[in-house]
This record gives sequence, structure tokens and C-alpha cells, in this order.
Amino acid sequence: MNGATVAAPEGVREAITDLLKRGLSEKLWDAALVPARVPAGDSFAWLLVRDGSVLDETLPLPPVMAVQGARAIYRLARRGVTGKVAAVLRPCEVRATIELAKLKQVDLDGLVLISVDCPGALPLKAYLDDPQKGDADFEKLCSGDDSAAREVCKVCHLFSRPVSDLHFATFGMDSGKSCVVAGSDQGRLLLEKLGMAKAGSLDKWERAVAERQEQKKQARTKAQATLSQDVAGADKLLETLSHCINCHVCRSVCPICYCRQCYFESQAILMPPENILERARRKGGMRLPTDTLLFHLGRMSHMSLSCVSCGACEDACPSAIPVAQLFSMVGDATQSQFDYEAGRSVTEPLPTVTYKEDELAGLVAPYTETYDAREASP
Amino acid sequence: MTEALKITKTPDEAIRALLAFLLESGKASAVLSLDRIGQDGAPIYSLITEAKGLESAAPLLPMMPSNAGKLLAEMTELAPSPEPIAAVLKPCELRALVELKKLNQANLENLLLISTTCGGVFPLAIRNNGGISEKLAPYREALAKGEVADGIRPTCRACEHFVPYNADLTVALVGGQANDGTCTVLINSSRGAEALEGFEGERTQAKLESDAIEALRAKRAEEATKLFTASDTAAPGLDGLINIFGRCLACRGCSNVCPICYCELCYFDSVVEDPTPSKYEAQLRHRKATRVPPGTIAFHLGRMTHMVISCVGCGMCADVCPVGIPVATLFSMVGKSADKVFAYVPGKNLDEDLPLKKYEVDELSHLGEERIES
Repeated sequence: MNGATVAAPEGVREAITDLLKRGLSEKLWDAALVPARVPAGDSFAWLLVRDGSVLDETLPLPPVMAVQGARAIYRLARRGVTGKVAAVLRPCEVRATIELAKLKQVDLDGLVLISVDCPGALPLKAYLDDPQKGDADFEKLCSGDDSAAREVCKVCHLFSRPVSDLHFATFGMDSGKSCVVAGSDQGRLLLEKLGMAKAGSLDKWERAVAERQEQKKQARTKAQATLSQDVAGADKLLETLSHCINCHVCRSVCPICYCRQCYFESQAILMPPENILERARRKGGMRLPTDTLLFHLGRMSHMSLSCVSCGACEDACPSAIPVAQLFSMVGDATQSQFDYEAGRSVTEPLPTVTYKEDELAGLVAPYTETYDAREASP
Repeated sequence: MTEALKITKTPDEAIRALLAFLLESGKASAVLSLDRIGQDGAPIYSLITEAKGLESAAPLLPMMPSNAGKLLAEMTELAPSPEPIAAVLKPCELRALVELKKLNQANLENLLLISTTCGGVFPLAIRNNGGISEKLAPYREALAKGEVADGIRPTCRACEHFVPYNADLTVALVGGQANDGTCTVLINSSRGAEALEGFEGERTQAKLESDAIEALRAKRAEEATKLFTASDTAAPGLDGLINIFGRCLACRGCSNVCPICYCELCYFDSVVEDPTPSKYEAQLRHRKATRVPPGTIAFHLGRMTHMVISCVGCGMCADVCPVGIPVATLFSMVGKSADKVFAYVPGKNLDEDLPLKKYEVDELSHLGEERIES
């Protein structure tokens, strides 16, 4: 595999910013979507930049994931964009963008997706508490110590090279160097226009990525084994979710939960008081708001196949519920049922829109058997 | 002096016994109370129908996982409760319920409303900061002396409406009597009197107002001045607002948990407000860059104009904010000044119309004049 080596003496962020500037001045794109530090200095927000001079104030690959990039793109490009927009995203943000495109919530026409090897992100609340310490912690993350990273980032094995147009390779590269790799025809064309379509070896990067991937996969298996012990079965799941106050922030920051109005906030779930009393009476008591478990399982069944394990839900939960770890674990399981991986490919259809006659035979068999047996008995 | 019942139990035990009595005597088919659920004892409201279900109940726990006014409104939105329900709520939760009633989002029939003089609640984040158990003793001591307890929500520190309005029964928690192993329940209505009939306790005359309550009122007023004149939130101006709301994720957590924001679909999430390519183009025509998603300040100011007249300062919004924006401080500060204009106290008087429903010919004319002059 080939890519163009770019000098990045001040780090990959500067190399990305330089590319964005060149793209703007050479009219390869008309605007760039990139994170920038907020005026108070303690978090980051997405800026759609038209004027290259503003790019000096932006920061690709920020230490936290405030608004999930795909969510920003959903708000930007649901009905397409004017001209071309280059967006700089983390790999999980690209994957979520791909899912949203397949769900017809993002129009990819006009978007140039630029990604970068991701060392993980810090918990949002920790960063807000002490941005200076956060910046130092993120430096550590970049040099391989991920002890301060979010739990889902610690076990993320899809940290590199999503199906973006251009990807900045950093892992395993000599310091002060980065490599731009094209991942699509659009990407290759852009590199040609930029005079960057040179052949350079990517062996070191590929080895480093493969090694890290192996480590992360093992850590992921281990973490999920522990977590499944803690949450398996209705009782343990209820206990895990017991602190849920039904604020639905997990869903409103989720890049995949695109519904304007959630079913679980609709008229359909409103109950007359006699039904509520009746339900409470059945068990002698009922928590209020009720059906928090149903909400989480319902949301899970709606979006799990497209879950990219980005961790935005857990970052935002006011009750410190490990909701991203839970959804990510279930997402792995549901996606593997269909040999599907959220965001892996633009052309691979969503499992729920694919009909296969012989699908999931193992899961439906017991029901059929029971039914047949009952039919047969007198 | 008010009719009262003096019970020789601690307030927590007394109220649990009262709730059990109401269920067993059939005076209530269900009670809404704070509960400790699961092995972790998560503080969550429960609708309890059997006396034995009250074992885990903590009706007076200084926590607010949801605004109970919102919960009762959601229960009674479609129709009044067909059976009697007793609810233990904090004064601001009761005020929220009254506002929701005025906004036609709740039915109060068949509800026995039990409230307390309130020392404030701890933020939800306390779960990550060592839990609540060790904080309860100092909290109760502060209340007995009429002091502002440590560690409570910022808006609770500044709350001057800690004596409930519209409660059928008021449990005295502020002042010495709350810590002497007895519980005084003041009877404010005939519904309250009927509920207590047959419940063990000494009938007496009591006065809610005490030195401790006076002291707390004065201290809370002081705290309110302090909170609402803090340099970063008082009169922030546009730059200040950008500073405060810059880190907003547009997660809508604040409006989701707000008792007053009852809309099923917020205007700011509606199709009308969808950002379109042409809207972004319009922005970029006269600036070098624009924020995505857009409309952060517009959302907060819009939400403010929609609900602030009825804001009860409960603090739920700030508690759920994932990025620590002092939403409640700002909203209750603005609410306070908006209410002053109309001499209105949200949730105080059921018979008083919402200011926006009332037409007065001479209203706010000075504001109009000022505008014309400038």
C-alpha cells in the first residue's frame, strides 16, 4: 500500500491543518468541518470554516469527543452540502457517518471524509474539570499510555483507517512524519491534484496498526467477559440501569439515534392513571419514571446493528451508567450475527434491509419445534 | 397557629408509618415516594401500592432524581387519577406540579400532597463523590439550626421558597424539632385532616414559622444575592452567553428533565429549525466560520422565553448537563426577575392565572416607552 509522506514536525494536527488550508486555497473544497476550542477553553465544538485564516484556531483530533462528528455531519449534511466540505473525523465518527448515509440521514455527495489514527479520547467530564491536566493526559494517550482514556476507547480495535477518502497514518511512523493514505477514488484524485500521490512504504505503519489491533482485540474480549458477568440476566441488567433517570441524553447524543422524536417520548407510551396504578399493584410498587429498561432495550434493538462504540452516550450520562460499554458489547454480538460491522463499508447493506431465507436458523428453530409439537398433540 | 399532629418518631420513620397507614386504611391506593432501589440503593421515585413496599422507601431523602411534579403530571396528563394517591414532594416539585396544572398538563384530583420544609437536595453527581450516607448527619444538623447545608445544589442554596405552598400536609424539617426524635406534621387542608384521622399521634397546635426558618430565609436570601451576582452569570451579555453555552452539546438534557418543558417535540428540534444548506450558506456569506450544530444560544434563549415565567428553580437542568453549564443558576435568575415584573411566584397560587394568559391594558407600558426612546 502506498501513501504520501508529509512532514509533521509539530505533530499530525498541524499536517492536517496544512492540508485543509491547501484544499481551501486550491479550491478542492469550499469549506472544512473541524473541531475548535470553545471560547471558555474547556471543551471543543465543530466549526464549518470557509476562510483558511480561521483554521489556525482549530484543532483536529481534540482530546475529547464533545459532539460526535457524525452527529455534526447529520446536522450539516442531512440534505446535502453546498459545494464540497472536507470533514476531519475520528475513525468511529467516520463509521457512524457511513451508517447514517446508509440510513439515508446523511448525503455523502459533496463530503470529503478525512480521518486520522486515533489514540482514544478522554472522558468529557474529566477534561471539563481540568483542561490543562486533560491536555497533558492526551499527550500521554498519544504516546501509548491510555490509562486516562474512556473505557470504550481503551478497548477500541477500529482506531485506524476507516472508509474515509483520506487518512492520516501516525502509528509506528518516525516522529515528525505522517503519511496521507487515499482510501477512495475521490481520495486518490485529491492526492493527485495536490501532487501528493507519491509512492512511499507503509510497512512500518501497517505493522504497528496490526500489533495495536491485536492488543486491543484481546483487551476487548477480556473487558466484555467481565462486563457480561456484571450485566447478564434481567436482575443484573436492572441493577446496572437502576440509576437511570430517563433523561434520554444517551439517545440524543448518539450519532445513530437520528429520530427527530423517539418512540419512547411519544404519545404511544402515555398511560392513563388506572393502567399505571394497575401495573404498580401487580408488584406492590413500580419505579417512576417507569420502563427505563424497556427504553434502553428498545433503543438497543433500534440502533445496535449500527453502534460504532464511540462512547458519546456514556460521556453524557448524568448517572454514571456504563451505557457505552453495554451497548458496544451487545453491538459486537448483534453485528457478528450478520457478519456485519457498522461503518465498514458504504456498499454493504444494513442487515435489516437484507432478506435471506436461511438467516438465523439456529435462533428460530426452538420456537418452530415447540409450535409443531403443540399442533401435533391432541 | 395551625392544626398539627406530633408523632413520637423521627420524621423519616413517621412519614413511612403514615404512608403505610394510608395504604392499609385504603385512604390511598398508592403512594409516590423516593425509594432506594436495587442493591446499590439508587435514589429513584416509586409508586408503591403495598405497605411492605415501603421498607426501602426514603420519602425524605434529600435527592431529586426526577422532578416529582413532572412525574405526577405524566401520570395524570390523560385523566385524573381514579383512586386516591398520596405523594411526598419537595416544595419546588409541588410548585412545578401546580404550574403544570395551570398549563393543562396535570390533574390534581385525588392527590394528597405531602410536602416538607426543605433543606435542599444533593446533586446527582454525589454518586461519584462518596455517596450520600455520610452527608446526611451534617445535613440534618444544618437544617436544625436553620443553616444552609453543605454540598447541596447551587440553586437549592439560593432557594427562598423552601416552605411549601399548596401542600395538604407539611412535615417540619427545618428547625430543632426535626432532630429531637419527633415529627410535627402541619395540617393545611380538610383533605390533609381526613388523611390523618385515626393515625397515631398527639393532636396539637403548631406554628411553622420559627427562629430557624427565619434564619434560613435570611441566609438563603444572602446566598441568592451571592449566586445571582456571580461575575460569570450575572448580566453576561452576548460574549458571556457564548462563553457559558459554548460547550453545549445540544443534547437537550436540560429540557428533557425540566418539569415545565412539557412539549413532546421541542420547537428547536422541529422541521422548521432544521439547518439546511442554504441556512449555512447565509451564515457563511458574512462570517468566516460557523458552528455546527447551529443555534446554541437561540435554543437556550428560546427555551427561556417559553418556560422561565414558570421556572421553579429546581435545578434538574444543571444536574443532568453533561458539560456542567450552570443552566439552573441562569434560568432561575432570569425567572426571578421575570416573575418580579408580573408579581408572580410560580406554583404559589393555584387560582392565579399564568401571566401570559392575563391581559392587562396598562401592562409593561414603561418597557415600550423605553424602547421607543432609545
